[in-house]
Amino acid sequence: MKDKRTLFFIPILIVTAIVGFSVAPAFADDPKARVIMEKVDARDDGDNQTSDMEMILIDKKGKKRIRKIHAFSKDKGEDILRLMFFQHPADVRDTAFLTFDYDDPDKDDDQWLFLPALKKTKRIASTDKSGSFMGSDLTYSDMTSRNLEDYDYTFYEKAKEKEVNGVKTWVIWSTPRSKEVVEETGYEKSLLFVRQDNFFVIRALHWVRDGGYKKYMDIKKLDLIDGIWVATEMHVTKKKGKNTAHKTILKLNNVKFNQGLVFDMFTVRRMEKGF
Amino acid sequence: MIKKNRHSKHRTRGVITAVFVLLIFFTVLLPGPTFAVEGETLDEILNSFDDKKSGASADTMQDVLEGFDDEQKDAGKITTEDDIPECFDDDTQEIEPESRKDENKPSIFSLSGDIQLGTSYNYAHHKPEEGETDRRGLSRLRTELNLELNAKFSSSRQARISGKGAYDSAYAIKGRDEFTDDVLDHYEKEFELGETYIQGSLTNRLDIKFGRQVVVWGKSDNIRVTDVLNPLDMREPGITDIEDLRLPLTMTRLDYYIGDWSLAGIAVHEIRFNKNPEYGSDFYPVSIAPPHEDKPGSDFDNTEYAVSINGIFSKWDISFYWADYYNDASHLQLVLSGLPPGIERRHARLQMLGTAFNVATGNWLLKTEAAWIEGFKFFSSPGKQYSRTDILAGLEYSGFTDTTLSIEAVNRHVNGFDEALKLAPDSAQQNEFQWTARASRNYLNDTLTLTLLVSTFGGIGEDGAYQRFSADYDITDFIQISTGVVLYSSGDLAVFKNIEDNDRLFFNIKYSF
Repeated sequence: MKDKRTLFFIPILIVTAIVGFSVAPAFADDPKARVIMEKVDARDDGDNQTSDMEMILIDKKGKKRIRKIHAFSKDKGEDILRLMFFQHPADVRDTAFLTFDYDDPDKDDDQWLFLPALKKTKRIASTDKSGSFMGSDLTYSDMTSRNLEDYDYTFYEKAKEKEVNGVKTWVIWSTPRSKEVVEETGYEKSLLFVRQDNFFVIRALHWVRDGGYKKYMDIKKLDLIDGIWVATEMHVTKKKGKNTAHKTILKLNNVKFNQGLVFDMFTVRRMEKGF
Repeated sequence: MIKKNRHSKHRTRGVITAVFVLLIFFTVLLPGPTFAVEGETLDEILNSFDDKKSGASADTMQDVLEGFDDEQKDAGKITTEDDIPECFDDDTQEIEPESRKDENKPSIFSLSGDIQLGTSYNYAHHKPEEGETDRRGLSRLRTELNLELNAKFSSSRQARISGKGAYDSAYAIKGRDEFTDDVLDHYEKEFELGETYIQGSLTNRLDIKFGRQVVVWGKSDNIRVTDVLNPLDMREPGITDIEDLRLPLTMTRLDYYIGDWSLAGIAVHEIRFNKNPEYGSDFYPVSIAPPHEDKPGSDFDNTEYAVSINGIFSKWDISFYWADYYNDASHLQLVLSGLPPGIERRHARLQMLGTAFNVATGNWLLKTEAAWIEGFKFFSSPGKQYSRTDILAGLEYSGFTDTTLSIEAVNRHVNGFDEALKLAPDSAQQNEFQWTARASRNYLNDTLTLTLLVSTFGGIGEDGAYQRFSADYDITDFIQISTGVVLYSSGDLAVFKNIEDNDRLFFNIKYSF
């Protein structure tokens, strides 16, 4: 027979656990804001894409580092397959990163990293995507799609709309619904500026979980390529208070869609052979 | 007894050091959670997108952010509100990035490489006795040039030639007379052909690769169980990871792919063994020279063979391995064919059947390997062969941002063990247990990586151990420095005999191009 005290404490523990280990939504989900975000999510982002990515990493002393990547992506149903070959600097040349980004929120992504210096392909097991992507101010979560069901969306309470660089935007809070999402992305909440004409998020401000940083993501160049809107230049600035801690300028060149990529492209075999 | 106490002292010191470093690693260097300041207005937030308005340490950021404002004003690059109707107008031309128009075809050939200077400093040795080598202070000052020429003929055909040359000036500085010929011959100058191969696809599903290459088997990162094909450079153990130490061999490799599975058949034409510490080096365990080593030649009859089957699936991978190969480690054997009878070092032919499996769940990666290896020979049991069963389990955790933690453990069990094998010179154990723990974290946007590695033989290092704490820092995209300390603990295993005084600091600077 169970101790009565045990029986008494179990419900308290459950309540404590729920209250203590979950992030209560700061605002209730606003259906109108959600509709906008659903349109953002539904916007055509192309298929069979190839591109050359250049990242300029600038530290607070102004020292620059450059990363160059040749990237491929292909849709497989609702899932997205991505393959990246690192080209620069010399010591990471031919390193390859393969990701199967599953649409199913209950299924973790598959990731593999090929390290040519070690002649080895290593499986990466990490639902924590808050780590820096190649030393940039982007995280792995910034490189993968987000699940709308993981967030509450509400309009910014002080200004539902705002003009940014002459373009009308909706201003929307994106608040993670669980602590797990915060841990996975590294962001406590985000303020998104969504262009009203094409449903593109042209600015985003992320409250970073660790270190008290804010991250400003600013689309500087938005191009229509093969009928698809592509952010070909983005500046990501990590700040603490008013001080810039680090900055990344991300440029996409040679963006092409409908390149007829085959699924065999997105394999460990291809990673190891290079592109 | 004195020696044992000394070993114990070193083990204690090593453990204390490891714990201390771990504490620093996780308490001081891991940032704790903080919370953002609330209550900013939208205008304040928007102002922060404009760095010039932010007043962000203008003295240091001014040069870097020069033009940031101009870009802001250059709204033409961003499709403005006025452009919107045009952008959706059927007659509107698409905007193409300028760079799309000048696609440069890369050259077939590319040359890359690095030049590096590495040094080690022994700080724990005592003043030598008369006639002994003075091992205090500088033990390595090695300049190394690595070159790699790649030819990419198509997406499926490529070739590589690589090699390195190195000169260690520590011996000239300390006096070459201080060292044995074995040490000078193998450490002072080195020229080696690296990976040199041609690779292509015979069909859509069949690849071939011929030449000097490295084949990595297994899932473990720090311990070898099924990874038996390529030898290692073990001359200065503990300084770098096993991953960096593999020596290439000339092989013909065929890979056949079908769905999630691949089948590899390998013939190893070049017979080559580990580079072990030479007689006279500070890692050579005893003061007498080793007997002659009878190395099998790289002829057709000695060809090594290997087969692997690999399956890669969502969340898990599995591999099966078979290999018929020479043992990288030698055993001593009495040779009666001449007068007087002598002792030689020989390499037994082994057969290995193994499997490796890993599964990813959340932030955890579980790794397992198992191998059954037949054909071991021992001096104390002439004419008899032994088999060994190796079982490894490991866990890797990547749930802390920019951090990887891993632990791996293996037990190597000699089947049908004979007590005579415990005697010198075999000094074998029925069960040889090894575990490693590793913590690695990136800082400063991946420019700095701190790594702690503990590798221990026996439960608490009674068979030998080492700990390495290292830091790798990218000064620029092309220049990297590495530095750290390696602490050794002597133990019962032959390779760990009398090495507790070899504790050293190391520093390496590398320019890559």
